[in-house]
Amino acid sequence: MDYIGEHLWAGNLGRFSVILAFVSALIAAFAYFKSEKNTTDSSWKSFARISFYVHLLAVFSVVGTLFFMMANHYFEYDYVWKHTSLDLPPKYLFSAFWEGQEGSFILWLFWHAVLGFVLLKTAKKWEASTMIILCLVQAFLASMVMGVYLGGLKIGQSPFILVRELPENLSLPWVQMKDYLQMIPAFLDGSGLNPLLQNYWMTIHPPTLFLGFASTLIPFAFAIAAMVKNDYSTWLKPAIPWAFFSVMILGTGILMGGAWAYEALSFGGFWAWDPVENSSLVPWLVMVGAGHLLIIDKNRGGYTRSAIVFSILSFILILYSTFLTRSGVLGDSSVHAFVDLGLSGQLLIYLLFFTVIAFAIFFAKMGKMPKGKNDESLSSRDYWMFIGQLVLLISALQITFTTSIPVNNSLIGPDGWIPLLQEKIAPPTDAIGHYNKIQVPFAIVITLLVGISHFLRYKDTPNVAFKKVIRSVIVSLTLTIVTAYGLNFFDESNALLHVLLLFTSYFAIFGNLDFWISLLKGKLKLMGPSLAHIGFGLIILGSLISNFKKEIISKSDEYIHKNFPANENVLIELNDTVQLGEYKVTWVGEKFEGTHNYYQLDFFKKNVNHPDFSLSPPILINEQMGNNAEPATLHNLTYDLYTHVTYADLRPAEEKNAPWSEESEIVMGRGDSVIYANSFLVFDSIAFDVTNSQDPKNPNLLLVAKISIYNMDGNVYSAMPILTLEGNTIGHIEDEISEMGIKLNFDKVDPETGKITLKAFTKNEEEPEIIIIKAIIFPFINLLWIGCFAMAIGTVISIYQRIKSNA
Amino acid sequence: MKKTHIVLIIFSAILVGSIMWTYFDASTYANFELADNNKGQTFTVVGYLDKEADMNFDARKSIFTFTAIDKAGEKKVVIYNQPKPTDFERSEEITMKGVSTDSVFVASEILMKCPSKYNEQNQMAGSNNSYTE
Repeated sequence: MDYIGEHLWAGNLGRFSVILAFVSALIAAFAYFKSEKNTTDSSWKSFARISFYVHLLAVFSVVGTLFFMMANHYFEYDYVWKHTSLDLPPKYLFSAFWEGQEGSFILWLFWHAVLGFVLLKTAKKWEASTMIILCLVQAFLASMVMGVYLGGLKIGQSPFILVRELPENLSLPWVQMKDYLQMIPAFLDGSGLNPLLQNYWMTIHPPTLFLGFASTLIPFAFAIAAMVKNDYSTWLKPAIPWAFFSVMILGTGILMGGAWAYEALSFGGFWAWDPVENSSLVPWLVMVGAGHLLIIDKNRGGYTRSAIVFSILSFILILYSTFLTRSGVLGDSSVHAFVDLGLSGQLLIYLLFFTVIAFAIFFAKMGKMPKGKNDESLSSRDYWMFIGQLVLLISALQITFTTSIPVNNSLIGPDGWIPLLQEKIAPPTDAIGHYNKIQVPFAIVITLLVGISHFLRYKDTPNVAFKKVIRSVIVSLTLTIVTAYGLNFFDESNALLHVLLLFTSYFAIFGNLDFWISLLKGKLKLMGPSLAHIGFGLIILGSLISNFKKEIISKSDEYIHKNFPANENVLIELNDTVQLGEYKVTWVGEKFEGTHNYYQLDFFKKNVNHPDFSLSPPILINEQMGNNAEPATLHNLTYDLYTHVTYADLRPAEEKNAPWSEESEIVMGRGDSVIYANSFLVFDSIAFDVTNSQDPKNPNLLLVAKISIYNMDGNVYSAMPILTLEGNTIGHIEDEISEMGIKLNFDKVDPETGKITLKAFTKNEEEPEIIIIKAIIFPFINLLWIGCFAMAIGTVISIYQRIKSNA
Repeated sequence: MKKTHIVLIIFSAILVGSIMWTYFDASTYANFELADNNKGQTFTVVGYLDKEADMNFDARKSIFTFTAIDKAGEKKVVIYNQPKPTDFERSEEITMKGVSTDSVFVASEILMKCPSKYNEQNQMAGSNNSYTE
């Protein structure tokens, strides 16, 4: 049967490109493998390159086809229908592209292909061995979007599938309609992109993060290649810039996610230790470790094993986090995760395949790897750098462990594979508190080492070098005391740890600054590592101050129970003023614009007559996906004032201002009594009357119900709602008892049972409109953002310097 | 013994220590019965909203009251002294952290799971804020 109006060529092209990408990746891997075996014959290598170029084109074609289908609204395709709509602004087409799992796999595939191209051009003698790994990974990824069935086994989920081809639709009658696209209104428009994602952060955050994910593959490929070739020295040079490229991009991607959460989600901060955030932070921490270990190994030797393990682990952890967030296993603990598309099995195979291969090679080769020549001196830079990376690893493993509690449950929980545990373990009740508590000591050690390491020398450090640190220690100590007093760090339960971290963060900043100025003479091209470390110090300092010293100014003083958190929200009536911290805040009104309902809050501090500033936190109104409150933030140099609406009456105005409540139906027989609105209604009697009418043959009939109403004070009122019959027209005459605020309407009477049906209404009291808001002050959060920029720029400079000196 | 060995021993000790700490911090999923037998102790109860029962949010007092049914089928009134989460009615599953008292379960944190069309959208999880999906 030929369906009318379908664009089948697009889906066929897309599917063909995916299969071509898969096959060409496998062929390229095989050809590179052959060329590695037989280095004298260059024909395999050229064949491998051609295969990879075909693969690259195929991936571009997948991306291009899907994009074209989305831009042209081919709603017969499930992915297009699910993620776009006719009214979607073109600038959000990118967000729509990677909104679904299939699109994000394609994005990942795309970045690997691009990085693969760069690797092919630059890796020289490492080309074949690293490209084998990259091509194998590409084959796995391509299979994730293949969407074919092999003997009942589903391989991948294709974004090029038609709605009528979905298994759940196959037996539906409309599938047999030739002109279903024209006849079924649902196909005229797609369901559209979640409005929460219609945000510029969603345009830049996912591609950056996925480039970060993709970049961890290269150090992994180099590590495997080094082991296979038994060459543990020459891989370091090319691998170091790649490792730091990964650190930079992945770090930027993670922090962009934080910035998005802070700017667009009423999340209460930039970091919530959500499992999804954690699972990209962990590979980053390990990649930072890998990069530094590669440097130590290159400069001093003897760290081969740890450099290789870290390089492998970072990529494996990316796979693990993909498994965590996409298999649905996190269901109970994070709603941030994707739904299960039935790919968990395939993801698990992907994860296990590379884990087993990598570690099998590692354990087979471990004995032959070069070892450290002599025992390191306690004053050597390499020794303490190594310790620093171990601390990073512990920190990463701890985060992984807590994040993986749901996985533990499905492995060894009561319903798991091996039921070791009696009951399921739940993640810590206070997740943020849990991580902060455990991670602060690690952060102290890391920042301390970041501050001091540059002053140490490889092998061992003469005592004179230590004296140079003293200046930074004094500056940091002074600033610590000033900050701790200024921001009341001393009067809290964890004072010691927080003040220590304050000091070590300052030390990380000033140690590196001093090192750059006095030892590197402020040379710009040598600035990279120092700047990146200063940035890291600023990030920790900014997080420490803005997180532990944040002030919820909408917090109530009333506690309902000593173990219970106080209400952190404040209620404001329309045009009323409340005191929030040092501000007087007035809610002046609401306004609907586009998709958001804005609540204007005027803040008064110095002035009485006109506000110092206004903030309008909105609620995004969306019937389909649910409403969502978004924050409005005032950015100052030294603090941010962050507000969002936590409750607002979103009923339409006519419903909010309706004079009467919704009707209640009351069915009563004679003599029955019913409780309504705190009063007793008794059906006393029914009276029948005929009124004058022009036509004597068709008189107007009146049925009068006599109802007595007893209120709580013992007063009795009488109500007489009337049912009229004029010709064939039924009419109602309501009776309102104004003293009671009750209105009765005689709806109908059942002639058989004699029961009557009343509609009762109560008068709505005129209540002032209210909203409930939450307001938080984040002090010095700008340090965090400055730190992010400094770290990224510093890393870029050092990568550039390394590539330049490699060439 | 080389210094690296000492380092590795310390490394393992800290690793084991921090993971043990994780287990001490971890709570357990419970039902209302267990929470009732250990009043005052914090539990995570997973259940769903009793749509038949009354649900009330007193904005003035900021007390949200509803009835939840745990996985064992037991019903209990839950109070939550935070604003009512948006679209609470649409939740499929509610995770409540809190303590049992004689009459009610007092939740300090509520997490909701909404129908899968929400989940797919890669949204942030809500705790004691208003964003919920």
